[in-house]
Amino acid sequence: MIEVKGLEKTFGENQVLRGISETIRKGEKVAVIGPSGSGKSTFLRCLNLLETPTAGQIFLEDTELTSAQCDVNAARRSMGMVFQHFHLFPHLTVRQNITLAPVQLGLMTQPQADEKADALLARIGLLEKAETYPNMLSGGQKQRVAIVRALAMNPEVLLFDEPTSALDPEMVGEVLDLIREVAAEGMTMVIVTHEMGFAREVANRVLFIDEGIVVEQNEPVSFFEHPQNERLKSFLSKVL
Amino acid sequence: MEKIGSDLYAALIVGERWKIYLEGLANTLLLSLIACLVGVLIGVTVALLKTAAAGKKSVGWRVIAGICEFYTTVIRGTPVIVQLLILYVLVFNSSFAACIAGFGINSGAYVSEIIRSGIASIDPGQMEAGRSLGLPQGKTMRLIILPQAVKNILPALFNEFIALIKETSVAGYIAGRDLTKMSDALRLRTYNSMPLFIAAAIYLALVVGLTAVQKRLERRLARSDRS
Repeated sequence: MIEVKGLEKTFGENQVLRGISETIRKGEKVAVIGPSGSGKSTFLRCLNLLETPTAGQIFLEDTELTSAQCDVNAARRSMGMVFQHFHLFPHLTVRQNITLAPVQLGLMTQPQADEKADALLARIGLLEKAETYPNMLSGGQKQRVAIVRALAMNPEVLLFDEPTSALDPEMVGEVLDLIREVAAEGMTMVIVTHEMGFAREVANRVLFIDEGIVVEQNEPVSFFEHPQNERLKSFLSKVL
Repeated sequence: MEKIGSDLYAALIVGERWKIYLEGLANTLLLSLIACLVGVLIGVTVALLKTAAAGKKSVGWRVIAGICEFYTTVIRGTPVIVQLLILYVLVFNSSFAACIAGFGINSGAYVSEIIRSGIASIDPGQMEAGRSLGLPQGKTMRLIILPQAVKNILPALFNEFIALIKETSVAGYIAGRDLTKMSDALRLRTYNSMPLFIAAAIYLALVVGLTAVQKRLERRLARSDRS
């Protein structure tokens, strides 16, 4: 589904990613953990080219995203992204937030998109908020709307960049529940997270990124119970 | 008191001189308005080019960014009178055309900064969110960034217009027939400085009125502020 080869990213003097090669298969849920500043968010943001890689290649199916001829906008349609700080559009209603991209990109007519948006909102129990503006919503509601905004594009992959890190603790659950549901439907996901319990429960595979490389990866049970690498052991001992 | 009365009479009534202020005022307003429109046109273009060029590495974009930077630096770094004189002497024979071009180009540099900073004040996450949904940069700018930036831009743009009204008072330097020049010309016929005070009063009334409008505009924008 997604193939990453020798991915490097440098900001000025600072090399954040030092060569990451990874294959993410269809339907897989990959959790990415690591200390802050380790490059895990940069890795995720490189996948849909919000950051331009300094070196290396990224393939989505058979398309090379890193080639100069690649239509990045077309590729991004099939890769939904959910941000730490939601980034809902404050000047648009909740429904418009969801329908803007599908309609503007000619994938749906406005009535079709409205219908789809309402179905998605009903699913997350926020249909009565369709006409309100994002600042009337709680953090958890905002993030759930952001997730269905990404789903409205019918993406092949969802990328989550610390989706619960900006939430009040009591709202983390509702967002994780929704991600869990979407995961159960077979969506391919890459999730950068600090929620170790969630990573362990939902992910098929966990990556530990530190200092710009994947230091260790494994299926979740072995990953958390029998970490091999010293840095991972020390990281887990601090966060668990 | 009697002197003020007779001065006023000489400055306004004799020979229907009040018409001369009106003519000057009309010219000042026309000049400010057209120059402001030209300024907004140039300013929006320059601001969008600067924003689009930011972070791009190709030679074409570097050159465009360089030209925009040169424009704002030169225009903001030199006096408007010098710019007007150069345009009048070298480019235009008509004083009105030189004034429009001069004030337009001049205000364009300031307007472009107003618009650029209005755009820059929007969280970069908004652009990222739009782009991550597959929207091209132009559409994201038009549908997501600009509608939010307008709230910051409009009040500052109105300020620029108010400033421009006062700035056009140097049009007389290149034979522009604006309010200041016309009043000053009258002074030579009335033998007193009353025409200048009348001009000052007209400018003041204009600016105070427009500032009140601007305050209302700002309040309305704040009311519709949903973020």
